[in-house]
Amino acid sequence: MRPHHILFALLAFSLIAPPVFAHAIGGSDAEFVRKTIGADPFPFLYLGAKHMVTGYDHLLFLLGVIFFLYRLKDVLLYVTLFSLGHSTTLIIGVLFDLGVSSHLVDMVIGLSVSYKAFDNLGGFRKLGLEIDNRVAVGGFGLIHGLGLATKLQALGLNKDGLLPNLIAFNIGVEIGQLIALSLILVVMTLWRTTKSFGRFAIAANALLFLAGIVLAGEQLAGYFLAGDT
Amino acid sequence: MSEETPIAPEAIKPVQLQVSGKTLALITGGGFIAGALIVLGAIMPAEFNTDPLGLGKLSGIARLWAPEEIEVDTNSASGPLSRDSEIPPRTDVIEIPLTDFLGGAKGSELEYKVAMKQGSSLIYEWEAIGAKKASDVGFDFHGHTTPEPGQPMNVATYKQARGLKQSGSLIAPFDGIQGWQFSNFSDGPVIIRVKLTGFYDLVPSGQEGNLAGIIANVPAAQARPDFQPNQR
Repeated sequence: MRPHHILFALLAFSLIAPPVFAHAIGGSDAEFVRKTIGADPFPFLYLGAKHMVTGYDHLLFLLGVIFFLYRLKDVLLYVTLFSLGHSTTLIIGVLFDLGVSSHLVDMVIGLSVSYKAFDNLGGFRKLGLEIDNRVAVGGFGLIHGLGLATKLQALGLNKDGLLPNLIAFNIGVEIGQLIALSLILVVMTLWRTTKSFGRFAIAANALLFLAGIVLAGEQLAGYFLAGDT
Repeated sequence: MSEETPIAPEAIKPVQLQVSGKTLALITGGGFIAGALIVLGAIMPAEFNTDPLGLGKLSGIARLWAPEEIEVDTNSASGPLSRDSEIPPRTDVIEIPLTDFLGGAKGSELEYKVAMKQGSSLIYEWEAIGAKKASDVGFDFHGHTTPEPGQPMNVATYKQARGLKQSGSLIAPFDGIQGWQFSNFSDGPVIIRVKLTGFYDLVPSGQEGNLAGIIANVPAAQARPDFQPNQR
């Protein structure tokens, strides 16, 4: 497959994949988290990484963010900002029992995908708006972390060993993010060197925009109709 | 990848695409419209049992929706041994025609349930007429609640087996519908004759529990007027 084929496959998958894939910690993993008492860092590390690698809304956001980042330095800067925001709300949220509806948080995450696609298309400049991407990425990091904090609390974490487990989970999230990011970066870098990049960049961001709208709409529907939080 | 990988001259800072205002409007407007269509037409019917555009029913996507199920223990229960009923007892004979297995799921399989209040009793007896071997007919004797959208469904499974007759009694574990899914695996048509006595109500044709539209207390030939078996 050519690089842009892989990207389009990812985008297409995100549109048809069932919502259970997005973001949730479910099944036997949820059961494990519920039962854990005391510090148990490596399973939590794994769960954090898994959450990031299998959460396609996260992946789409990352894809949007690094679409036009050419230098590793820039990529690292943005990832660090996102991680800072993410870690802050995840740890504070769980420790202080802060939570909002995960549907609403996931809706904002969907919108963040559309936001980035719109930005990549030069939309904000066209509207005469100058948005500092560093602030936006940091802000979305805060929201992503809050969403995860809400989900972790819903699982009924044991207070014993909470902080070490949370930190392990958080490190796992960063590892997972780096794994996902490296793969996307490799594909993007390859793709950028081909002629098709110029032709398909607009289409890819248009699809990214659509995917974000679908994710947001799905979560909005879930907020009003699913009867859970 | 090194820091100095100049792929394009403008690769010094993050760049953006240069898209005309018209294209931008097309992309965002189209994104909102297509996104709304996907959510309203497909995701909401399939995931949330809500079908604002009617597309879910039209496309069959709405059938994907199934409520979360909570299994009820059917082997142990405690309750009063004597129960008064608010409704009088009734007796019905229901003849259910099933085509041979080649008649497809619509012809050879059918679900028939009655509505019962929690704690009310039912005495049942059914036989498969026209079947030869016990393996010819499969049945799933079960009950469930009929929850509002988004609410979980209580499910009780009493017996899943193959056989040509069954008789016994049931005390409904919850307000809901109780009955059988019958499947004819044989190569000839079968009639299931169900005799019921107890405190229950028949489910009207087309509603959950009697989606096949079976009419009670008439011969099998007239019991399913809305269905014509495939002519082969």
